[in-house]
Amino acid sequence: MIEMRTRHSVRGFTLDVHFESAGPVLGIFGASGSGKTTLLHCVAGLLKPRDARISVNTRMVCNRPGGTWVPPERRKCALVTQEPLLFPHLSTRGNLAYASGAKDALESDSGWKIVDVLRLKPLLDRNTASLSGGEKQRVALGRALLSKPEMLLLDEPTSSLDAELARDVLSLLLQVKLELKVPMLFVTHKAGELMALADDCVVLESGKVISQGAPVNVLSKPRAIGVANLVGVDNLLRLEVLRHDEAGGVTLLAMGADVALAAPLCASAPGKTVSVGLYADEVMLCLENPAGISARNALACDVTRISEMGHEVLVELKIGLQSLRARLTPSAAHELGLAQGTHVVALIKTSAIHMLG
Amino acid sequence: MLTGAETEVVLLSFQVAGWSVLVSVVPGILLGWLFARWHNPARALLQGLVMLPLVLPPVVTGYVLLWLLGRSGPLGSAWHSVTGGHIAYTTAACVIAAAIVGFPLMVEGIRLSVLGVDRRLEDVSRSLGRGRGATFLRVTLPLSLPGVVAGAVLSFARALGEFGATIVIAGNIEGQTRTIPVAVYTLLNAPGGEPGVMRLAGVSVAIALVALLVAFWLGARQRRRVSA
Repeated sequence: MIEMRTRHSVRGFTLDVHFESAGPVLGIFGASGSGKTTLLHCVAGLLKPRDARISVNTRMVCNRPGGTWVPPERRKCALVTQEPLLFPHLSTRGNLAYASGAKDALESDSGWKIVDVLRLKPLLDRNTASLSGGEKQRVALGRALLSKPEMLLLDEPTSSLDAELARDVLSLLLQVKLELKVPMLFVTHKAGELMALADDCVVLESGKVISQGAPVNVLSKPRAIGVANLVGVDNLLRLEVLRHDEAGGVTLLAMGADVALAAPLCASAPGKTVSVGLYADEVMLCLENPAGISARNALACDVTRISEMGHEVLVELKIGLQSLRARLTPSAAHELGLAQGTHVVALIKTSAIHMLG
Repeated sequence: MLTGAETEVVLLSFQVAGWSVLVSVVPGILLGWLFARWHNPARALLQGLVMLPLVLPPVVTGYVLLWLLGRSGPLGSAWHSVTGGHIAYTTAACVIAAAIVGFPLMVEGIRLSVLGVDRRLEDVSRSLGRGRGATFLRVTLPLSLPGVVAGAVLSFARALGEFGATIVIAGNIEGQTRTIPVAVYTLLNAPGGEPGVMRLAGVSVAIALVALLVAFWLGARQRRRVSA
């Protein structure tokens, strides 16, 4: 899908990357300032690096110094940015029909499919100023797709949205991937999004590629987890498979001696190690062991640390040999009287545990 | 009310100012855009050259124009050998003088409003398959249009008031180069000319006021639009 070898220096920062990927969705992961957007702009042709070879879907778009230079408008790499950047002087329809050929595309079956997937029909005749943030981002996505791009360039498309809308846009992107089959270069600093959407992933740090591979593998490496922790608080665990309970629909994973985590049934043989991901929001805490609950996991654990961050409280727990994070509201943390060393029971639904391979 | 001669003066002034805006609007847009978007050391030099008539005494501007466009001047004589006509002391010379002194206001108005257009919109446009030219026409220009109109209105008002350069390059020929300021100057030197001066002064103030209000209103509109 993409092959890239680029050295580009701008104002004291140097992007120096070399990678190739078959995609179809390549995640570019890294903390802010790691060069993600610079890389994306090199692919888009908005930056003209002195020394670069970039090919998109086997087409050489940049071979410098001396060789090919395809300007951005002929690269067919449509950009969707953090802010929707709709053209303020055009209507919603005008924005969607903006790209060359998009006007006809909008009337065609494939165009209607895009409108359908992104739920744009009710927005068509509205003024862009009256759209909400999530709606604007859907229009921006539609505008990009209607240009019939060879590749979508997504620059943190969810980060200006609140959590719920971000999840909605993410699921739309997943649909775009599965139904419209458009290759994507997806810049993000959210581990969860990376795992949900990307097939392959390049981790950037200070302008250099520090690792590449399937998101699961990349994120389970300590160095990349450092990046993930910088920006998210997802639980990433490497656990050994104990046994499968096929009738019960669960696989038991070892959290420590005598402590097992019931995860969705997986194919890995007992004795193998698997990665699982778990959002801190999905962990519920209880002071006593409750009876008669559907959640398959009620794990006794100790609170090791509590940190308050704005309107949320992050509780770190020790379960057997593993540690786990739970995110609570300050009122819940207060009502439970949580402190370092408190014994609690962590309730986790099996479905909240994501098998990462 | 205005006398016949005064009406002629006002109409001629409007014609001269109108033509001066018409001939300078396209180069004004190009230079305003260039000054906003082009990053090159040569830009400062070019920008200074365009801005010069704003700070130069208009009489000096007129003298430079006369030197260039006069009968023996390099452009004036070339024009004569091609067309057989002259530029100096014609209505065309009035238009040129008015356009030159109004041009900096036009360019600056356009430059500022192009600067107000989010460059990322231009980036998105290009990634959607629209080249530099199409992006300029479809995104940059429509979004900076209020600034273009404001710049045009200001330079129109400036052109109406042009005196120094006009009197040098175009003289004071009734019906051809006698615009409002030149007519006021003539009336001031004539016995009993005061009532005419008052009337023309009133017309000038009214036009200038309307032009400024329109320019301010467009400027505010542009700011609202950019912040939206």
